[in-house]
Amino acid sequence: MKAQGTAPRRNKWGGEHATPTVKAFHDSIRARIADRFAATGKRWEDVVFDPGFALTRADYAEVEAELLATGYRFDHSAQISVVENPEKYKASGEAAAPVVQHAGDGETTVVGYGDNALPLDTDAEGVIRFVDTVDKVFDMMAGGVPPDTIAVIEDAGGTLTAPILEEFAGMLCKGGTIKSHLGVLAREFRIPCLMAVELGGVADGDRVRLESTKPPPDTSAEAARTGRTDRARIWKIG
Amino acid sequence: MPTDRTYAELLEANNLIRRASDINWWLCQYRTVQESALFPVPAYMMLSYLNAYYRYPELVRRIEEVMPAEELGDRARESCTTLMSTPIGWCLHNFYLLGREYLMDLGVVRATDAVDDAVTVLSFWKRFMLAYHRADAHLTTGDFGNRSQVFPERQLQVFESDAIGCRTGDRLQTALAQFTATAAQYALLAHCESRPGIQNEGPYRVGDNQMMVRFFLNLAEGDFPWLDGVASDVPYANLVIPVVLKDTRVSMLDDWSMFDCEPTYEPAHVAAVGLYTSDYLCDGFKPVGMGSADELAATLEELRDVLRLATNELWKVFASYRRDQMLDAGALVYYSLPRDLAHITGTYDQDDWFTLDERVQEFRPLFNDEYARDALGELLGYLSYAHQQSHEYTMARYSDLPRHMESLIPYSVLANDEFTTTSGPIRPGSTSLPPKTALWSTTRGKLPIDQVNALARSFRPRSMELPYRFLDDEWIKTNYRDEKADELYRLAQTGSRTLEGRGAGLLRADLPDPKG
Repeated sequence: MKAQGTAPRRNKWGGEHATPTVKAFHDSIRARIADRFAATGKRWEDVVFDPGFALTRADYAEVEAELLATGYRFDHSAQISVVENPEKYKASGEAAAPVVQHAGDGETTVVGYGDNALPLDTDAEGVIRFVDTVDKVFDMMAGGVPPDTIAVIEDAGGTLTAPILEEFAGMLCKGGTIKSHLGVLAREFRIPCLMAVELGGVADGDRVRLESTKPPPDTSAEAARTGRTDRARIWKIG
Repeated sequence: MPTDRTYAELLEANNLIRRASDINWWLCQYRTVQESALFPVPAYMMLSYLNAYYRYPELVRRIEEVMPAEELGDRARESCTTLMSTPIGWCLHNFYLLGREYLMDLGVVRATDAVDDAVTVLSFWKRFMLAYHRADAHLTTGDFGNRSQVFPERQLQVFESDAIGCRTGDRLQTALAQFTATAAQYALLAHCESRPGIQNEGPYRVGDNQMMVRFFLNLAEGDFPWLDGVASDVPYANLVIPVVLKDTRVSMLDDWSMFDCEPTYEPAHVAAVGLYTSDYLCDGFKPVGMGSADELAATLEELRDVLRLATNELWKVFASYRRDQMLDAGALVYYSLPRDLAHITGTYDQDDWFTLDERVQEFRPLFNDEYARDALGELLGYLSYAHQQSHEYTMARYSDLPRHMESLIPYSVLANDEFTTTSGPIRPGSTSLPPKTALWSTTRGKLPIDQVNALARSFRPRSMELPYRFLDDEWIKTNYRDEKADELYRLAQTGSRTLEGRGAGLLRADLPDPKG
């Protein structure tokens, strides 16, 4: 049987990549494999698992280098990534800040909203502290977590703050859902916690109140279809 | 020549792929988002899928040469291994299939490649799961309407009867709440921001109450190199905690072993609690500190202190890792989730489970944070890979979309020769992690791996011997006065504080200390 030719087999029913990085990488990889396959003159089945046919680490490094050469820089999620390879990643803080509508509410100001991971009988209060780097966690391990700390945490994981999490008076997490690991730990430790927080107009040291008495959001598929209006509020109180 | 796989085998394999694909999409959409500022989570997940694609088929074949999948499923049910809902019920087949789907989108393989590999993994997984879930006769928790009841009556009677009562705010309830919080945090960290170290089974009816059986796994020095030294004072690899809940209905336990309650789970709702340990060298479940409420509370308090210290030390270890090391640790935690299959069969080799195959290492330069996040997001969420698209009349289960997460095996392999059978044998692997140096903590003591394997090869739990292995609750129903039934129940009652030697004739009302 003859080789299939250079064109990769495409799906009759389409499929467009949803993100630019995946499109760029996969288009490049498919083209490389198609070229390499055409050069073999063999059946696909005879080469597909031949080690000599496979792309190498150098090929895949070139795929990334092609995109970087256009000036594109990547988002990072793990801090170690940007620490080790700052040239590959956008600098921290380039991401757009969440827009929060500031609304007067009696003598306080609503500065954010979130999904309540742990319904309680009373609202929680404390002092905002941004705990978003390994160094800050080390500092708090060494010097102790200041009393009444409401930690503002970027990611919904439970590992960055693992050694000090138990000492927080509350947590405001900018990502995730109430079922994310940080939400799970908040419930286990009984720490007031809002997830998927939009927050603006607060700085380290500001005093805030969390609407911890709000019922948890409905995260069912049905609720996702019909929309939700059950976000807990965050007030700046000092 | 077409494949020598039969049409029936392919029909079944494709059924399993579609079931996995449906439930996986629902889980990814509605149950959680996994992320971390410490670990490059999406990157390690993608690497783990690739290692699963290239290695699981041969590992499964090797394991099944020693013990059939059905017997392994029985073994996992009769004691606490890590082979539970998430580590094998969700991971084994899905990780293989997700690796396949990703490679298909890259153009590295086609849907007609490695057909025997796919059928082997899926067949093994199905037979294991049917045996593991023998008591409830479902394939997965999802198939059972998000519920799991793997234990037979003889074990559940012991869990209920031996559980020690507690009240709101008393020492035992407080100690339990503080222990489970600390253990959950430690388990998430030890598993590099993934949750397979926290498992749950249930719910089980306990009169007007309900019982969940909670598991914290891989706590002590063992397969994870990063626990060497850090976890040297952790005395138990696995802890099993039956909890009787009052005024609480467990509404859902999903295939990721997360459970929801109505009202929300609170420590104050725990009416009784037990504590056990077990592993692949243990005949059943061994009570831990269950002589009295005070002894159990003190045991939980001590364990909590040990795990809290270990958490701080482990965090410092991870905080000192390079990205490559974090990537390897996470990828190998994920990929190695079914490794107790090798422990049970006495074939465990650290290189099989804690290295990345040289074929996988080639892909490493791709996985910067953004590409990994988006490649994973498209694979699990958007379903925007080419092969994930179906014809325009399709309405997938749950999503109604013309897309499926995991692609079927084309039946054309029965009609022509455009297919391959296998990706080939495992190739040498490597890792940037420090070498494993400490002994393995087991229920038989701290041992070198050669001794662990030798013990495993010579060990067979008594409940797995004939005729006991096949004396299930359906047989008990009409044979509970049979001497063999008494012997079987006495095995589960060994070491029980309240039921030692009581045999098969008990109903809940006969228990000395019923909890519901």
